[in-house]
Amino acid sequence: MENFTALFGGAEPPPAAAAALGFGPAKAPGAGAAPPPAAAAPPPGEDAARKAAAGPFYLLRELPGTTELTGSTNLITHYNLEHAYNKFCGKKVKEKLSNFLPDLPGMIDLPGSHDNSSLRSLIEKPPICGSSFTPLTSTMLTGFRLHAGPLPEQCRLMHIQPPKKKNKHKHKQSRTQDPVPPETPSDSDHKKKKKKKEEDPERKRKKKEKKKKKVGGNSSSCRVMPRTSCPRRPVQDPELHLCSWHLPQSCAPRAGNVFSRVLPTNSPRRSRAQLHTGPAQGGGGC
Amino acid sequence: MAMAEKFDSLEEHLEKFVENIRQLGIIVSDFQPSSQAGLNQKLNFMVTGLQDIDKCRQQLHDISVPLEVFEYIDQGRNPQLYTKECLERALAKNEQVKGKIDTMKKFKSLLIQELTKVFPEDMAKYKAIRGEDPPP
Repeated sequence: MENFTALFGGAEPPPAAAAALGFGPAKAPGAGAAPPPAAAAPPPGEDAARKAAAGPFYLLRELPGTTELTGSTNLITHYNLEHAYNKFCGKKVKEKLSNFLPDLPGMIDLPGSHDNSSLRSLIEKPPICGSSFTPLTSTMLTGFRLHAGPLPEQCRLMHIQPPKKKNKHKHKQSRTQDPVPPETPSDSDHKKKKKKKEEDPERKRKKKEKKKKKVGGNSSSCRVMPRTSCPRRPVQDPELHLCSWHLPQSCAPRAGNVFSRVLPTNSPRRSRAQLHTGPAQGGGGC
Repeated sequence: MAMAEKFDSLEEHLEKFVENIRQLGIIVSDFQPSSQAGLNQKLNFMVTGLQDIDKCRQQLHDISVPLEVFEYIDQGRNPQLYTKECLERALAKNEQVKGKIDTMKKFKSLLIQELTKVFPEDMAKYKAIRGEDPPP
């Protein structure tokens, strides 16, 4: 009995079930949470009035308001996040960082700890520098005089791109058709090959002619290239698929420029470069 | 300035900066003495690019980014996966809490029902004070 009285003294609050019913002070969810305002010690006059209203019940508290936002409501719909939920959870999100930033050069899928380029290290050990950025003076720029020649292979990190998966176009015909038994090499094969060889130069000529025609047509009217990644600024394409970047007047695209190179029309890099393409703006902007 | 415009401005500056760095890399990878002027120009563009990005900081001071996102990026993972996992976790927790609330409501109604059988007078008084509870 002593144990019982020690555990459940007269002044002890009623058990949790009673508290849930509103008979006694229920513990607030979460340890250390502040008690609700109703549980705070009321003034003596108010206490007497409450006792009278409660009748035979003691420590009767008011029930929480029904307008309070709880987990019983769907919080995603409450905060209008259905669109975000469907967007991210409806379909499969690609795992790699390069899928999120497809135009970023370099191997960005590797962990940042490999080359000490992690963002966390930037936060934990911020670089020691001034608060403002000042342009480099001519004397400062003398420190950036480089030797002529290519970089060694191990230093060419900028050019390494992650291998992109290509969609292999499988021939449906070869699948549907029955497998043809391999023929033994015969004279007929040689003839076929010869025929192909004879036809090839003719085809090449025809293709070249077509290409020439196309180039001629393009030079007269500039073609607006579709942008794949950033549909911000459609830029007119200069002739011969030359890709130029945002350059000052002195480096404006010309035939032998470092920044002009031939790219295929559907290259992602091309679309990237178009963001900064356009008539070379006078020195600023880059 | 609208929120989207702020982000667009930052994005544009970052893209220009990255592009400038890429061009710098091309110049440096096969350096020619004639391209020293271009290199100097690119270096100064880099400084102005950093200045432009720094200016964007004032407009975005009220944006907070969870640190966990940086972990995703550092591991070479798509940061959208973090958003996805957050939403999934929120929904799972929401459902869990809803289940608990529903169970507690059922328990309350059953308890009242049983107490009414044993202590009908007291429960009548209780109901008079509290009012009739809606069924769970």
